[in-house]
Amino acid sequence: ARSKPHFFNFRAGSPSALRVLAAVLEGRATVNPKKGCQVDLVFTTDHYNPEVGEEHLGKCSARVFFRNQKPRPAINVTCTRLIEKNKRQEEDYLLYKHMKQLKTPLDVTSIPDSHGHIDPSLKPIWDLAFLGSSYVMWEKTTQFLHYYMAQISSVNQWKTNDDTIDFDYTVLLHEFSTQEIIPCRIHLGWYPGKPLKVKYHCQELQTPEEASGTEEGSAVAPTELNNF
Amino acid sequence: MKPLLGTLYLLGILVPEGLGYDGSLAQTRRGILEETVSPWRSLDTYSYTKYHPMEEIYQWMVQITEKYPGVVTQHFLGMTYETRPMYYLKISQPSANHKKIIWMDCGIHAREWIAPAFCQWFVKEILQNYKDNPRIGRLLRNLDFYVLPVLNIDGYVYTWTTDRLWRKSRSSHNNGTCFGTDLNRNFNVAWCSIGASKDCHELTFCGTGPVSEPETKAVSSFVESQKESIVCFLTMHSYGQLILTPYGYTKNKSSNHEELIQVGQKAANALKKKHGTNYRVGSSADILYTTSGSSRDWARDIGIPFSYTFELRDNGTYGFILPASQIQATCEETMEAVLSVLDDVYEKYWDSNSAVKMTSRAMVLGLLVSFRSVF
Repeated sequence: ARSKPHFFNFRAGSPSALRVLAAVLEGRATVNPKKGCQVDLVFTTDHYNPEVGEEHLGKCSARVFFRNQKPRPAINVTCTRLIEKNKRQEEDYLLYKHMKQLKTPLDVTSIPDSHGHIDPSLKPIWDLAFLGSSYVMWEKTTQFLHYYMAQISSVNQWKTNDDTIDFDYTVLLHEFSTQEIIPCRIHLGWYPGKPLKVKYHCQELQTPEEASGTEEGSAVAPTELNNF
Repeated sequence: MKPLLGTLYLLGILVPEGLGYDGSLAQTRRGILEETVSPWRSLDTYSYTKYHPMEEIYQWMVQITEKYPGVVTQHFLGMTYETRPMYYLKISQPSANHKKIIWMDCGIHAREWIAPAFCQWFVKEILQNYKDNPRIGRLLRNLDFYVLPVLNIDGYVYTWTTDRLWRKSRSSHNNGTCFGTDLNRNFNVAWCSIGASKDCHELTFCGTGPVSEPETKAVSSFVESQKESIVCFLTMHSYGQLILTPYGYTKNKSSNHEELIQVGQKAANALKKKHGTNYRVGSSADILYTTSGSSRDWARDIGIPFSYTFELRDNGTYGFILPASQIQATCEETMEAVLSVLDDVYEKYWDSNSAVKMTSRAMVLGLLVSFRSVF
């Protein structure tokens, strides 16, 4: 269930509309030893940012398929009762304007700091980083491995290329079953309303695996960032 | 006893800096200390809604003991790998009654900062309220609390000086190429059989043998020596919002599993009432993952009936780096859960006549012995 919000967040491409898992209402898993594991779920989601006042519990149903324990599950998810598109676009654009005004180079090391504090002016950076990390986490998720974003350990580059926010950072992902912390260097390009472009490299003990599936529906497949 | 404790405390502060295992480490430590040590002098201004470095926690323990003499005493448990003293606080009201013991430890994993924060909060709540709050008052009449605020002290210090996300202890392995044992895989229960690693590079490294680490040895020797009296063993972790029962090393259930689940569920319900936070309850192997060598499983298997692992807030949003702004709410709700468990434990052991039975049995035995010695 936790991989769905990662996938959903990435596909929505909106840092102001990030969701987290609230509760699983129904679940059913079917395992075929030869093919893989399919999970059907109904779950609710909550706003990622608790400061957003409204109790906006989204409701989603999803089907997740892991082919033979490989990562990058194929996901089909639909959600209702979320922020309406116009409002989300408006909020994204405000976020974008705020980000463009940030003084560079950013005088910041870890986000959050050791005490979990994020300066309000840097919150959009965290949100955008989380969006990029969602893609990485979804790609790496398997039946047995699931991830959370623990901390941004460094901001390498933050600038605007034409109008796109160009963000190069290192994030520490926490894998739950091994308890390992995995540093990933992520480079993303974002403009409100446009699909997120992500390139990444994680430092790992194991070699990366072939994916379970490709993206569904109308979402644009992630591409190499041309201007880097 | 007091002068000895004082000396040990001083040693605990001075020795790591004096030896300077890594010269730069000692420097960084001092540097960080200068930035973060608050100008707090008295217990009245100690903030329970901030995270505190180890030096401040040592100081807090001394001050708590001084402020509540006759109820709190500080006791030495053992030395860590980097030769820091481990202390637990014993909260006990003088009484003719034979008391059962509640054990609570926090911070076996270094990066789980909210856990030591909770241990300090718990101690504060008990001491500030036992006189006026009947619920807490009755618990203290027949129960003693043994609280170990930071179990993995070396690791905790390391998260303040060097790596916020460090988990293990700081023992050296493989000729200094590898550091740290996962202390919660090092206890002598199905040691390293499953859910743990023999590779010292990994985060679930079980150590070079069961109870190979001084920290594990200190806790298990002491708990073992008191096991007849300990009825409840609580070990605090983060994150995940879970109340875990034995076992992690097998899907088999303990003999009192049903009761543990019932008590755990009641605690989760009490917790949720406070701020709406959802906790799940279940055995570790069922709802989390398999583990061997955990303190909770070991405690259950040496006969301690109520043995739980608490995984505190949150659910992954901030994970280990839980904002200090959430300390209060987390501690308040966790307090409700722990008190709920303690109420159930109390009612089980004190409302039955088990205490009376024990004293009479002891009396009869005593009489028999004295008769025999006469003949």
